[in-house]
Amino acid sequence: MAPPRVKNFDFLGDDGLVDALLTEVADNLRNLLSHQRPGSIDLLGLPLSPTCLATLEARLGVGEISASLHVSGESLIRETAFPGVWWTRHADETGRIVALLIEVAEVPEILRATKADMERGLQRLGEATNFTLARQPR
Amino acid sequence: MTATEETLGDMLARRGFGRRGLLKFAIAMTASLALPPGMAPAMAENLAAAKRQSVIWLSFQECTGCLETLLRTSSPTIASLIFDFISLDYQEALMAASGSAAELTLRQAVAANKGKYLLAIDGSVPVADGGVYSLTGGRANVSMLEEFAPDAAAILAIGTCAAYGGIPKAYPNPTGAVGVEDVIADKPIVNIPGCPPIPEVLSGVLVFFVSFGRLPDLDDRKRPLAYFGTTIHDQCYRRPFYDQGKFAKSFDDEGARQGWCLFELGCKGPTTHNACASVKWNNGTSFPIESGHGCLGCSEPDFWDQEGGFYTSLAGGTGPGWQDSGIAAAAGIAGGAAAAFAARHKTTKPDQEKPE
Repeated sequence: MAPPRVKNFDFLGDDGLVDALLTEVADNLRNLLSHQRPGSIDLLGLPLSPTCLATLEARLGVGEISASLHVSGESLIRETAFPGVWWTRHADETGRIVALLIEVAEVPEILRATKADMERGLQRLGEATNFTLARQPR
Repeated sequence: MTATEETLGDMLARRGFGRRGLLKFAIAMTASLALPPGMAPAMAENLAAAKRQSVIWLSFQECTGCLETLLRTSSPTIASLIFDFISLDYQEALMAASGSAAELTLRQAVAANKGKYLLAIDGSVPVADGGVYSLTGGRANVSMLEEFAPDAAAILAIGTCAAYGGIPKAYPNPTGAVGVEDVIADKPIVNIPGCPPIPEVLSGVLVFFVSFGRLPDLDDRKRPLAYFGTTIHDQCYRRPFYDQGKFAKSFDDEGARQGWCLFELGCKGPTTHNACASVKWNNGTSFPIESGHGCLGCSEPDFWDQEGGFYTSLAGGTGPGWQDSGIAAAAGIAGGAAAAFAARHKTTKPDQEKPE
């Protein structure tokens, strides 16, 4: 887990922190709309109590899309009730949370299939097809 | 493609590990290194294109604890792959070669990676009497350091001994032990102190160097800011008790059982910079304070010689009630002796009663 980099925000209270984070999310979303620039907020780097995190997650709500990633442990990428705002949680093989983010993007980068990925996939598909054809009875 | 031409991306692909896995690793590492999450795609791209990084590791006046803790970390798979990606070209405790073959390996590795290798050092550097108190192959550690440091890209001083002299430097320091930075002044040095250091900090520094070709931002004691930027106290889950003035007065009083602050029992958390309270140990299981013992301040210079010792509060005072503990211990010893006597008596009795 990342070390918290901000000391103590108790004076704000949980609601104050959540409001501040939602304001930052709104800024990020505005930035995405205006400049097509995605943004993200590292929640592990903030001194958020479990209650505060739960409140934040609840206020962002649940959207229509949820995706799982099965690489080096489980990851959950879920759109919130606000299109373009994603709740992303990455765990390692032991189930330990290694990253917890709010991502503001059309689609989180990790979900996108890149050109290189697709080219490799096409090559593998070709190899698999040839293999299947070679094994077909005449 | 030869092993030296192979990139991390090639190697991961060969092992069935795709772009998403590397990106996920980069996301976790940016979080660990306190970098903006937006840097993760660039880090993943740089890592994919990077070549194996040569690391030459020299062990000086040390106990091998630093190496042990780094080897025994249960890092996630990808971190293990990163360690595979590092070409550990010389490490006496791990390499198969010995004697003149090992010395040849060292010279070849230095020649092949001149100006590019990372020089990792664990252990302090004894400089008294020409450095005779710690030799490798008949050569003084200080002489080896002075020979191999100039051609290194940077130096990693791993553990408190290499960083600041550590326990060998403790009073009266008969070997004249010092840290690497006391010998080498004209090379980038990153100190990764701790007795032992946290494995994740070393992997973070290595990943940063491989990704961006430079050391991460350091504090005034040359420690990575991302991990040493705050004190244990700042991050401690017992901190609210400190703020409320609730302190354990001994290791077995009601306050200790309630998990109150260990400040009055000598905890050095307020003056110790490290990531134990957040990264933790044993794959995130806990850290000393969570196990009921105060921080010893092992990642700070001269921690062994702190005024008052480990169990005296930073504010002074007498420390925990050892007198009571001593009485209890004495009672325990006396009780144990009595029990042992009784047991021996009991075991001899049947023999005595054994029929002939």
